[in-house]
Amino acid sequence: MTVVLLYAAMLGLAAGTGLSGFAGRGLRTGLALQTAGAALLAVAGFYILATGHEVGAAFTSHLTPRLGVDRQSGLFLATLGVVAAPALGYSSRYLADRRRDRAMASLTGAFVVSMTVLLCARDPVTFLASWEMMTLLPATIILIYRAADRESRSSVFYYLAITHLGGAGTWVAVLLLAKAAAFGPPGVIATGSGLQIAVALAALVGMGTKAGLVPLHSWLPRAHPIAPAPVSALMSGVMIKLAVYAMIRVFVDWLGLLPTWFGVLVLAVGAVSALGGVTYALFQHELKRLLALHSIENVGIIVLGVGACLLLRARGDSTWAGFALAAALLHTLNHAVFKSLLFLGAGSIERAAGSLQLDRLGGLLRRMPWTGAAFLIGAMSIAGLPPLNGFASEWLTLESLVHVAMSGRPADGLYGTVAMAALAATATLAVFCFVKVVGLVLLGPPRRQSVGETNEVAPAMRHAVIALAGSCVVLGVVPGLLVSRLARLAPWPMPGSTIAGLNPPGTGSLPTLAIGLLLAGVTVALVRMRGARIAAPAPTWVCGQEIVPRLQWTGAGFTKPLQLVLEVVLRPRRELEVRTESGVLTEVSYRGEVPNLIDDRVYRPVARWSLAAAAHARRLQSGSLGTYTAYLIGLVVVVLMAGRIGWLG
Amino acid sequence: MNAPAVSAGVLEVVGGLAGSPLMVGAIQHWKARLQGRRGPSPWQPYRELRRLWGKTSVDVSGTTAVYRWAPAVIAACAVAAVVIAPVAGSGPNLGFGHDFIALVGILALARFAAAASTWDVANGFSLMGASRDLTVAVFAEVALLLALAVPAVLSGTTDLAAMIAATAGGGPWSGPALPLGAVAFAVVVEAETGRQPFDNPDTHLELTMIHEGPLLEYAGRDLAYLQWAAAARHWVLLVLASELFLPHPHSAWAQLGLLPVELVLLCAGLALTETLVAKMRILLAPRLLAVAAAAAVLGVVARETGVR
Repeated sequence: MTVVLLYAAMLGLAAGTGLSGFAGRGLRTGLALQTAGAALLAVAGFYILATGHEVGAAFTSHLTPRLGVDRQSGLFLATLGVVAAPALGYSSRYLADRRRDRAMASLTGAFVVSMTVLLCARDPVTFLASWEMMTLLPATIILIYRAADRESRSSVFYYLAITHLGGAGTWVAVLLLAKAAAFGPPGVIATGSGLQIAVALAALVGMGTKAGLVPLHSWLPRAHPIAPAPVSALMSGVMIKLAVYAMIRVFVDWLGLLPTWFGVLVLAVGAVSALGGVTYALFQHELKRLLALHSIENVGIIVLGVGACLLLRARGDSTWAGFALAAALLHTLNHAVFKSLLFLGAGSIERAAGSLQLDRLGGLLRRMPWTGAAFLIGAMSIAGLPPLNGFASEWLTLESLVHVAMSGRPADGLYGTVAMAALAATATLAVFCFVKVVGLVLLGPPRRQSVGETNEVAPAMRHAVIALAGSCVVLGVVPGLLVSRLARLAPWPMPGSTIAGLNPPGTGSLPTLAIGLLLAGVTVALVRMRGARIAAPAPTWVCGQEIVPRLQWTGAGFTKPLQLVLEVVLRPRRELEVRTESGVLTEVSYRGEVPNLIDDRVYRPVARWSLAAAAHARRLQSGSLGTYTAYLIGLVVVVLMAGRIGWLG
Repeated sequence: MNAPAVSAGVLEVVGGLAGSPLMVGAIQHWKARLQGRRGPSPWQPYRELRRLWGKTSVDVSGTTAVYRWAPAVIAACAVAAVVIAPVAGSGPNLGFGHDFIALVGILALARFAAAASTWDVANGFSLMGASRDLTVAVFAEVALLLALAVPAVLSGTTDLAAMIAATAGGGPWSGPALPLGAVAFAVVVEAETGRQPFDNPDTHLELTMIHEGPLLEYAGRDLAYLQWAAAARHWVLLVLASELFLPHPHSAWAQLGLLPVELVLLCAGLALTETLVAKMRILLAPRLLAVAAAAAVLGVVARETGVR
């Protein structure tokens, strides 16, 4: 059954990938096949997770290609399928039948296949090969989509440079594991050994870069927004999650018990990423860039769960370590669902309203009721509001952090509470940010005439976001069905029961279904009691003025109080120019921005030093044959001398 | 279910749903007395609610369902918060659990609904209120969560009923943890109920409002929902303050009996601070809340250190 499902899914994806490159009916048929394949992938993934029916080879350190699927791969395959099916279905209207779009459709299919292969990889070679494919394919799609203009080439270069420099850590970690025959079997590497630490740190750097963790996140807000909407959804929804998958494999499954300080380090990286991502998102005015920054935030939240898991495990609290892992995995799935919903919604909004600048939209909930309502649900989910899915996983993460603080050691009390503070601040900042997004995009009067005449997008594009919004509600109302299974993915024994809500020991329980029904029931009752007997509608009272677009609040105005509070940290730039002509004020121009501190303080100096070092190194390249011959002779002499002395062994 | 549990359940629901406006009225009444005015009667909020209930709502033209549903969502969140916050250690689980993190999440939903409605009406003064409310909330929510984490760490669970039971008696007060948590929670109560020094509930000048701002464009039953929800918020926070951060006995009956006394004391305390303390600059409010959060962190660490 599992094997049949998986083969059918792969067949659909592969055939669809090939077919969508052909003109005529090829594109639509190909994308339909790809969508079906992705849907089957989701079914197969959930089936494997639910039944524990594992197929194929087990992990091996031999360098021969092997494929197989276990429950953890199943969860991530399901995540991939849940995101890819709507994203590919969405593509069938988003892309038109022309050469450029057909190439993109085909490459998107290949991108999904490469991620599937990564999840099924059971040996270092397949793993690393599909890891690289997964990085390179979206870069190609972006270059095709943007017709390789100057800006996109620079962004793609940035993306590839950072993910390859940082991503070298992945190679180091995987090859070290393979050398120690520890790619798979746990407990081969001794706890606390230098090798264990080296692998863990290399994996944190390498996979952390790919996941978009601060301070190696800088490529993410550049590369994700310029991709076509379905690919943005796949990149933010799934690609960065596969780095989380790899991290969990290495940290939790393969390396055995890691020292406490490593758990604290992971916790710190997660907290900084969560806070950093959401803070810069708050002051961002372009929708897709803002969403990309929120991906950093959410990966931070996931990594907070992973850190809590490592720390609790080091302290011997295996029950809560398991729940912390479940929190991280649940947030991975949840974020995949709502982030792809938001990216696809942003794509629809860009198509329909012709802009992604937040201050140039407005009132789209009335013009695009379906897309708008789905986008609202996605925004509430990502803001972590009950009874939607983002809240369930953030609740479980917070509970894990409280239990870190409870472990009975003063230092843990500090780590747990500080991490809790970071997550609570992140959640409130996300509420702040998405109130701003929802307000500027969906609510209020349109901020431009043309936005007021926007029409709803094609059914295929609409259905994709509606399906994802439905998933947000379902995952928010019955997360318990999943959590007990996710907790049992931990390589240590876990108690587990299947209930609709969340009820781990040591909590007041979160009966999501009951709370959801209570909120919905009371709301509906109160709206009915409010009655339909309404006086004639009146315009908003603004001291008798008329609301014109120029007088409307901007996103910058809305976040200004917080910017003033955080001024010491964020160092915003502002330029105010007042022009007067013979004592009469003629023009006032204002420009303000919140520069990215890490870009300014870390990346820019590093880039400058590297360029300076390169300028020095270039002196070696004189271009004259004589110099090169001298280098060669010098090298040979040094090698001979080294051999003579015995350095070469 | 035994008698104390039933009584606790009844007090929780009836007190929270029906009794909460009285607390707001009492604070106003005492505040007026302290300031040398006669002031309105403590029952004034009920009269206001009755008056608003009889009035017709006026919809703002060009708004969406977000504007129309926001007051109901906010009131529903208040109902959920009331049934989640227990009034005694024996408080029955009404099927919604007693988890404090769930409570914080539900309060966040109400805040989102209020702020989203201001964008829908596009009223600059409402938006200003929402923007300030969210700015303060970033810090207030951290402080709220950390303050409640102190008794949670003391009792080893995040279940509020179990936390009430674990903080009962004199024992928990022998260390510095619970007092530090109480200090933090006192600041949080002022911020979350929209009272001075964070907000002035009496102000009707648009430029100074925080919590009143998002209410500007509502009338009739919508406004009644919003005012009731604000009162219910007082109930939830003050009940938690008296049951977790004021000394309370072990016995369930004594807890229930002492609760009204402690609530009266807390309301009087709020009236007193409103009289003595001036509203602070909004940009300074986060610092006060950060101090509260730091006190709570210190409380947790002190507890784990075992300082006596």
